[in-house]
Amino acid sequence: MSLTITCPICGKRNGYEFRFGGEDRGPRPDEKGMSPQEWCDYVHNRANIAGVQKEWWCHRDGCGSWFTIRRDTVTNLEIEN
Amino acid sequence: MNRLTQLPTLRINPAKTLPFTYREKKYQGMSGDTVAVALYSNGVRIFSKSTRYHRPRGLYSLDGECGNCLMEVDGLPNIQAETSLLRGGMTINPQNIKSFEKDSGPDKVDPAGFDYQKFHKPYKMWPYFLKRIRNAAGLGVVSPSFRMKGLFDEQYLNAEVCVIGGGPAGILAALAAAEQGLRVILLEARPWLGGCSDYRSAEYTPGVALYSRARELAKAVEDTPNVRVFSHTFMTGLYADNHVTAFQIGAQGDHFNERYMEIRAESVIAATGCIERPLLFENNDLPGIMQASCAHRLARTYGLLPGERAIFSVGHDLGIEAAIDLSDLGLPILCVADCRPDVQDPRLIKELTERGIPFMPGWVVSKAEGGKSLEKVTLTTIEGIRHHAVECDTLVASADLTPAAGPLFMSGAKMEYDFHTGFFLPGQLPPKVHAAGRLIGLYDPFSIEASGHLAGLNAAKDCGASVDALLKTAQKEIGRLPGPARGSKWMLPPSVSLNRDIVEKIFICLDEDTTVKHIDQAYNMGFDTVELMKRFTGAGTGPGQGGISGHNLPLVISRYHSDSVMPTLPGTVRPPLVPSFLATYSGRSRDMVKRTPLHESGKAAGALFQRERVWKHARYFSDDFTCREEIENVRGNVGVTDVSALGKFRIFGPDAVNALQRVYVGNMSDIPVGKVRYSAMCNEDGRLIDLGVVTKRGEEDYYFTTTADRADSAMEWIRYHTRYDQWNFHIVNLTDAFAAINLAGPNSRELLRKITDADISGDAFPFMACRTFALRRETSRDSETSNVSDISAIPVRVMRLGFVGELSYEIHAPASLAESLWDLLMEAGRDFGIRPFGSEALDALRLEKGHVIIGRESETRTTLHDLGLGFLWDEEHAGISTVGVPPLKFTRYQTGRLRLVGFKTEDPSRAPRDGSIIVEKTIRGYVCTARYSFTLKEAIGLALVESRLAKKGTRLQIFEDGMKKDERLYATVVSTPFLRSVDG
Repeated sequence: MSLTITCPICGKRNGYEFRFGGEDRGPRPDEKGMSPQEWCDYVHNRANIAGVQKEWWCHRDGCGSWFTIRRDTVTNLEIEN
Repeated sequence: MNRLTQLPTLRINPAKTLPFTYREKKYQGMSGDTVAVALYSNGVRIFSKSTRYHRPRGLYSLDGECGNCLMEVDGLPNIQAETSLLRGGMTINPQNIKSFEKDSGPDKVDPAGFDYQKFHKPYKMWPYFLKRIRNAAGLGVVSPSFRMKGLFDEQYLNAEVCVIGGGPAGILAALAAAEQGLRVILLEARPWLGGCSDYRSAEYTPGVALYSRARELAKAVEDTPNVRVFSHTFMTGLYADNHVTAFQIGAQGDHFNERYMEIRAESVIAATGCIERPLLFENNDLPGIMQASCAHRLARTYGLLPGERAIFSVGHDLGIEAAIDLSDLGLPILCVADCRPDVQDPRLIKELTERGIPFMPGWVVSKAEGGKSLEKVTLTTIEGIRHHAVECDTLVASADLTPAAGPLFMSGAKMEYDFHTGFFLPGQLPPKVHAAGRLIGLYDPFSIEASGHLAGLNAAKDCGASVDALLKTAQKEIGRLPGPARGSKWMLPPSVSLNRDIVEKIFICLDEDTTVKHIDQAYNMGFDTVELMKRFTGAGTGPGQGGISGHNLPLVISRYHSDSVMPTLPGTVRPPLVPSFLATYSGRSRDMVKRTPLHESGKAAGALFQRERVWKHARYFSDDFTCREEIENVRGNVGVTDVSALGKFRIFGPDAVNALQRVYVGNMSDIPVGKVRYSAMCNEDGRLIDLGVVTKRGEEDYYFTTTADRADSAMEWIRYHTRYDQWNFHIVNLTDAFAAINLAGPNSRELLRKITDADISGDAFPFMACRTFALRRETSRDSETSNVSDISAIPVRVMRLGFVGELSYEIHAPASLAESLWDLLMEAGRDFGIRPFGSEALDALRLEKGHVIIGRESETRTTLHDLGLGFLWDEEHAGISTVGVPPLKFTRYQTGRLRLVGFKTEDPSRAPRDGSIIVEKTIRGYVCTARYSFTLKEAIGLALVESRLAKKGTRLQIFEDGMKKDERLYATVVSTPFLRSVDG
């Protein structure tokens, strides 16, 4: 994997050490009054943008923390804020 | 064959011979020979028969640019003989022996896309043809029992600068960057540095030959401590963020045969030089026809003259230089034709004249003739007016050079046709990627070195070195030196005009037997770009990875677009650039198997182990795979089993309960201290993903278990689903820190009583409770010395659970004490007749109890409700939203889903195999687990069936793999658990 990711605790590491947690969409919406279709949309559909996105990663082979980075999905490069 | 053994450029050791076997005959090669060279020196001229037309093929390049020299070496098919070093005792064989034996292939060639078009009508005939085509196609045969031998390693490197190509440009680049104190990695595909200077005897400066200069540079770079040189290393890929992949062939004494490499570099320099663009003419694939560098290197590097009567038809000065040098080494050269009418270096023409070799500018080979190998060539003027036939055994043919631009393609640079050099060159390189040397069209040795130096400085600049002054000097220097040379635009012999009858056997791709006629046919069918043409005709898709056809194909296609503005575009180059073994990619192929702390204890007790994901589980404790005695002993007496693979976690802190509420569908807020709650985790689809127990051990302090499969991801899961909450809690993974033993059976309490002072009566230690106490030997309990610090005491956490449906205790103890605990239980249980039981017995026992195992009784769509476990979901969650709850609401009353049911077969002795399908007219579900129950004396099972078949009493028809069409096994849906029992 050509990706490198900067863990806020451990620093810049090889992408192999991390697990992807999807794009950042904020906390789970209130489930009250949600229809199955809306729920399905929330669970399965993503914006899937071509460009810079804020996304979650877990440093599973390191400190184990979840954090966000900004990555350009076109170049696969991490963007410093 | 006599070999030149005194040349200073040799890379062989003539004093050391190596024996090898080829087609069951013994031969001798020299140390340093490649397999192809050793065969050539022993008179072998036909190396393979081509894939489609079974035409004889010979040595063509020496760098593996085509599949001509793929051979079977020591049982391994498709070994590139041109780049594989000969080792003593090798057994070498040609591939596709059947066609190899035949004299020659069919005379006619099939039209383009033959197999795509002809065999599909009528369509029902296709499977027949498919089989025949598959039998005929392909290279080499791997026997199913074949096991790869050798040691494969992997390496992950970091450097500031990675230089690809160890010729003069690459070396100068590496040195320039290294001088700035940067860490540099230099990759070279050949086993030595020097590039094409390594074998050139032409002058660098008066009195200094190019090869001396190359050796001097190689030494300088090898002696530079901050440059790591990897020779015999093939670069395979360049990815985003300058991530380079490569593999290295081990030299003698290395600990590996091949090594996969990943290099992360700040800046990358491609200095990969050029290969040769093949000359296209009729029968251009005959053995005896080779590239200029092939002939030159055969002599200079391996001391082998390619033939006895040679003709040169080239389109670049390196070819003329090769002719001069080979003539000096003793190769009789009849003439040198050059498809360029002018622009040759006059010094080279003078040298040819001095040697009496006729030089024919403006002439080119248009046709070769011969049976098994080359006998005669026809030379033609480029206008096609005059012809001249000559008999010869060797034809050195090459239209021009073509850059080995693979790394540049993969860097994402847009490649454009450069009208001056005739090369595909990057219009603009991406940041932090540089190109240098012959790759960008330079010819002059000083220009090549200067461009390398400049690239090295540019790369150093990328890495933050302050080199502005040096850069200015280097740029001035390169401006002073000759720029890129004008390339030859030669493409097709004048006899060939498109859209008319094209002579058949002009091969544009040797690997796939694609001819210019195929291109013409494909174009007329509408395949008008390189990418379409590649796919339809196969050109460039063979083992050479487009090395031979990569340049000529777009040029030939561009002729069809001569009246349009469509630019000449090259095909796409994709990794891996060089084929390698899958074994190389798998590297060390570590088997990440885990053993429980009780592995040795189980082994000593006669366990037969089975791999389940990462774990090795003790599955049986006897040869009886029905596990009857193990099962009956648990039901009637007492047994122990190792359940250490369970995930075990401590979670504590003020918000620990909230975190549990978030992931568990049950209510976690009201568990009393010392109590255990059985619960489940679902994902956001409501699918069951985990079953386990949560124990409250103290205020804000919980201990929970997960299934073995979830042990690895449970922490991640909890942290993920609480990531926005800023909750204050900690999780510790204790999976490997604790061992767990399930002690089960009616006598388990009696047994436990023998080894503990704790009150474990049913009232003091009820079902679903957790207690912490110590276990110790009876004798040490009785002795007066026994006290709290007694070292034979084993501190344990014990939970009264009912997975197998008997009185049972799950005993958790520190992993380091696991074996002592096992021995203690076995010793205390001897009087009862205790027996260990394995995972198979556990499986049968829990089946009688109707308990599910995730992944066995559930699949990716199975919700908690489908399994009848909806009661685990508690809507009361103390205000904390829970993962998976919305879909649990949506699907609560949903019909038309697969439901889990218990069944008993009508023939009580016969249990269907796991996975058998439940049918009516179509498939209505499947059997998850079924066993003959020794306790109930009948066959029982769990099945996922369509909800309308889930009603008690429904008759199920089961179809087992291997049954006759109308044969069925009948079963009736019953309620679960099959067995009512003490606990659970």
